Amino acid sequence: MNKGTRWGAKQLRFAVPAVIVAAALGLAACGSSSSSSPTTTAASSTKNASLAVIAPPTSSVALSETGSSLLFPLFGSWGTAYTEQHPNITISTASTGSGVGISSALAGTANIGASDAYLSPAQVQATPSAMNIPLAISSQFIGYNVPGVTGNINLSGSVLSQIYQGKITNWNDPAIAKMNPKLTLPNLPIVTVHRADGSGDTFLFSEFLSAADPNGWGKSIPYGTTIAWPTVTGAVGATGNSGMITACKAAPGCIAYIGISYLAKAQLAGIGEAALKNAAGNYELPTATTMTAAANSFVNSTPKSGTLSMINTKASNGYPIINYEYAIVLGTQPNATTAQAVKSVLSWIISPTNGNASTYLTPVGFIALPAKTAQIAANQIASIH
Amino acid sequence: MTVLRTAAEPEQPASPGSPGGFAAVRGFLRKHETTFWRRGTLVAAIVPFVGLTFTIIVIAIKGWPAIRVNGTYFFTGSSWNPGSTYGATTTVKGVAVPQGASYGAWPLILGTIQSSVIALLIAIPISIGAALALTERLPKIVARPVGFAVELLAGIPSVLFGLWGILTVGPLLARDVYPKISSAMPNVPILNFFKGPTGQGEGLLTSGIILAIMVIPIITATTVDLFRQVPPLNQEGARALGMTDAEVTRSVTVPWVRSGIIGASILGLGRALGETIAIAMISGAILGHTAQNIYSPMTTIAATIVSQLDSSFTDATGFATATLAEAALVLAVISVVVNLLARLIVNKGNRLGVPTGK
Repeated sequence: MNKGTRWGAKQLRFAVPAVIVAAALGLAACGSSSSSSPTTTAASSTKNASLAVIAPPTSSVALSETGSSLLFPLFGSWGTAYTEQHPNITISTASTGSGVGISSALAGTANIGASDAYLSPAQVQATPSAMNIPLAISSQFIGYNVPGVTGNINLSGSVLSQIYQGKITNWNDPAIAKMNPKLTLPNLPIVTVHRADGSGDTFLFSEFLSAADPNGWGKSIPYGTTIAWPTVTGAVGATGNSGMITACKAAPGCIAYIGISYLAKAQLAGIGEAALKNAAGNYELPTATTMTAAANSFVNSTPKSGTLSMINTKASNGYPIINYEYAIVLGTQPNATTAQAVKSVLSWIISPTNGNASTYLTPVGFIALPAKTAQIAANQIASIH
Repeated sequence: MTVLRTAAEPEQPASPGSPGGFAAVRGFLRKHETTFWRRGTLVAAIVPFVGLTFTIIVIAIKGWPAIRVNGTYFFTGSSWNPGSTYGATTTVKGVAVPQGASYGAWPLILGTIQSSVIALLIAIPISIGAALALTERLPKIVARPVGFAVELLAGIPSVLFGLWGILTVGPLLARDVYPKISSAMPNVPILNFFKGPTGQGEGLLTSGIILAIMVIPIITATTVDLFRQVPPLNQEGARALGMTDAEVTRSVTVPWVRSGIIGASILGLGRALGETIAIAMISGAILGHTAQNIYSPMTTIAATIVSQLDSSFTDATGFATATLAEAALVLAVISVVVNLLARLIVNKGNRLGVPTGK
């Protein structure tokens, strides 16, 4: 064997600088994330923007959307329909989760981030040009697998809070029986199921528990897309809405919070849908009527930023858990053409005759934005540049 | 057009794809073969090393704020509380942190170790048995397809095992097996870990069993190769002394490759420690406390990193992501320590009185 084909000290001398280079690369990669100069955006004009669909640029633009898995199917059909009308604009969509949607949009790696949750004050502070633009209204239902029970079980936020804290542990608990005089609930331990991954649904559900049980849950557990769940015997974490359905189906006695788009799939799996007690004391199911009633009660309080929690409506026939689905967008886009394309797509989405038409929203259980909120969204969209 | 060129001829620009171009490239390669050999192997040797260094450095730096703030609580504490990501931010030791955030990874660390140990306890005897059957017992016509099946098992993506576990294995065990084990176990220390509520089949024992199935092909394949290396002379000699097949296996074949089997098991342990998606699906994914009994839902470091990554991005301070980096670093350290231990055991095993026959 030729001795020259093996490494001598000479070759190994190159290895040492190579490792140092690698280390330097590692340091550089970490350092780059800290610098983000604050950019100021022009305050949105006091005049209301037109609600008409904004014309796209004439050149070809490829936009990217990423984020919420709940919005993903809807964004897919929106993108296809929009590109049919405007073939020079293509939209790639990805189901990565609201957290990735927010961070990708804020970092500028995606043009549109889809999120079930609005931006936190700290995020807005870190990226002042970021906007959360309402696109549609979604909801969440409370599912359960209680064999032998037909009809909807009535539940309240404070009972759910106690269930998820392990204080109510059986379906025959007097607190549940009291609000269900017509049902005979079995002696069956409750299995609480929650999302193990970060989720807009956890955000909504924990907001609801905090609002409905302000002195218990509200004081001890801050809401968010992941929360510190109290220790409950037999509790199960599941990944994704599909995982919630699978876990609930497998566990008689389960209770779970699931995005409204999955209602049909959950019913196929034999999972029941709870009627939730609203602030007026009525038990309501999430239907287009109860969601609209709830949405209308929040229209006047929706701020110009679109940031609003729509939990625990005061409307007497409103469903207590609804939310705006958001597009997270930077107010300052890399160039005018991209800005024009983003504005065009978003204005098409909030248009009641296009993206907000029932042909798109009804299959996923969403409802359209009320006219006043659509106007707020249109003003936000108009300010993108 | 065919142009023959010698390596000594000066380089001429040739259109790629033409026969002349190929010949030129071939000539160039041949001329500098030794250089390519030296530099190519050097690069190939450096890439894995650089990759490891780079990864460790990046996660260490990303995790540094979390290491400082979480302190020793990370290794002893149980609460996994992201804090108020939509509320106020406080500053702890110069690091911006959401109010109320506190991360204790003890349940994750313990869950990782518990599920891996269960997996090995199940997998090692089965793997050795399978390897013995394949090399010593089964006729070739059966051994070949069985061996092939074992190798195929190693190539199945783990998400399939996860799906199988959550849809079939977990519910089946929870319905028909776990309640029987639970009621049969005496209430004494250690064994009472097998008592108590058996749940719905998502939990520690199910994770261990699924991990075992994933680990078996790794240990089996390596052990088969080891058994094939045992010199037949020693085995035949033992038989000639009147030993039964079982005695030959116990006192000649297995001792001959004992350290190799330990090495193979550590390979399997490495797989079990780092397995992510299957565990995320079947562990029950419970943060905040350790498993109360062997059936309880739990989680591991790897499964937590994948399930918490998305929501960590909603923490504007970046502290949640830093904490996941710290968890990743802990996992890396556990893996390295396990590998070093394995090397120690293997080396020690070689020095002890294992017949070497060289």
